Amino acid sequence: MAEAGPARAEAGFWAKTAALVGKDLRLEARGLETLAPMVVFCVAVALLLAFSLPDPVRPGRGALAEVIAGFLWVTVLFAGLIGFARTLESERRDGALDSLLLAPLDRSGLFVAKAAANLVGVAAVEAVLVPLFWLLFDLRLGASWAALAGVALLVDVGFVALGTLLSALAAQTRSRELLLPVLALPALVPVFVAAVELSADLFAGRGFDALAASGWFGVLLAFDVVACAVGALTFEYALE
Amino acid sequence: MGSDPGTSPPPSRLTWLGVAAWASVALAAIPVLFVAREADPALGGQLQRVFYLHVPAAWIAYLAFGIVFLASIAYLRTSARRWDLIAHSAAEVGVVFCTLVLVTGPIWARPVWGTWWQWDARLTSTLLLWLTYVGYLLLRSLATDPARVGRMAAVVGVIGFLDVPIVHFSVFWWRTQHPQGPSVVDPTRASGLGAPELTAFFASLVAFTLLFAWLLALRVRVGRLEDEVESRSLVGAPSERVPALR
Repeated sequence: MAEAGPARAEAGFWAKTAALVGKDLRLEARGLETLAPMVVFCVAVALLLAFSLPDPVRPGRGALAEVIAGFLWVTVLFAGLIGFARTLESERRDGALDSLLLAPLDRSGLFVAKAAANLVGVAAVEAVLVPLFWLLFDLRLGASWAALAGVALLVDVGFVALGTLLSALAAQTRSRELLLPVLALPALVPVFVAAVELSADLFAGRGFDALAASGWFGVLLAFDVVACAVGALTFEYALE
Repeated sequence: MGSDPGTSPPPSRLTWLGVAAWASVALAAIPVLFVAREADPALGGQLQRVFYLHVPAAWIAYLAFGIVFLASIAYLRTSARRWDLIAHSAAEVGVVFCTLVLVTGPIWARPVWGTWWQWDARLTSTLLLWLTYVGYLLLRSLATDPARVGRMAAVVGVIGFLDVPIVHFSVFWWRTQHPQGPSVVDPTRASGLGAPELTAFFASLVAFTLLFAWLLALRVRVGRLEDEVESRSLVGAPSERVPALR
């Protein structure tokens, strides 16, 4: 607001501070480079949490199972997205992106490599998180461990494929860390709903047969196929 | 509107399109407000007329996002700036119509359902659609390299649209698979649309379609002018350019 010219060189501590604050606020007001993605991010998170609300009209499955499943997958998603944001970070920091692009490998191979590395990261997070949830929330999985691992694998493939592709895009913007979840969370909703529904069934003590009959595996598979195909086909446009 | 009538060239096709669009909006208002009968009070009575805004806007939003998808593919294949411009413009106009859907819905729902919002399948997937294309516009406005923004945005335009059916299906399944659950009353069936109501609906749909075509053409033209200004470097520092989203 106030023009801080050279005549104001003797301004006091508070005036200088206020000028700096004003500068930051003006900058933000002009570009909305942080605020706009932040607001959209909040809406996306609120929407994600809605999917872990127990269904008021569906009795039979403990409400807690659904909420815990929601907690679990929200945690995995956020942790994954924080990790994906670093997908191309080392190449960028060392200015090695060009050398990477020069590697004698098809761009889709590059995509598979980056996605595979991210998959290992997400799987490691889950390997820590699930036992932790078992301890904290008294999960009684019994023989369903294998089923949960299968669900997690199907979820991870789609999640990692889409996350890797979008992180390459978000990395080329001014608000990288903020834009990745803004782009990824809405797109990941099918994976998330399927993951919550399937693991809530497991936590509620349903067997693998009930899961297979529910059809959510079909949603996961369809998403995995689309995400991998689009990722492999368009990664070059995201990078170049 | 902004041009000087004394010196401007004869009205272009764009101008005529605008005139036709607004004229049809004015015409459609007659059946919407006066011809269509008042709905059952349980469906909102007079307030049910918001339906004639709400549903056409939703159809137009779908149309716009479909255009984003096709133009994005065309741009990735041909690299012709025209397709990028069309995709960007359609996304902007589509978000406007999608916002209209999300605003008019709760206005009707509050008195009829007793709540502004329900986590119903159709509401949730519309909100997701809106988020997806707001993300698309944010990506465009925040990209560091303007030369590459088109390709990046096109990737999101493709993913966003391919994701829509899966999103729709999964969200639908999540809540609407139980008939006793909260679900949007299907307005076409529940309100018993007769000939007067259908007239109002299709008049409104035509008006919205023309309005959309005009806004899209206008936005594409603004984009062309922006390109021209830039190529003639009439603008100083890049920072002076207005970000695309604003």
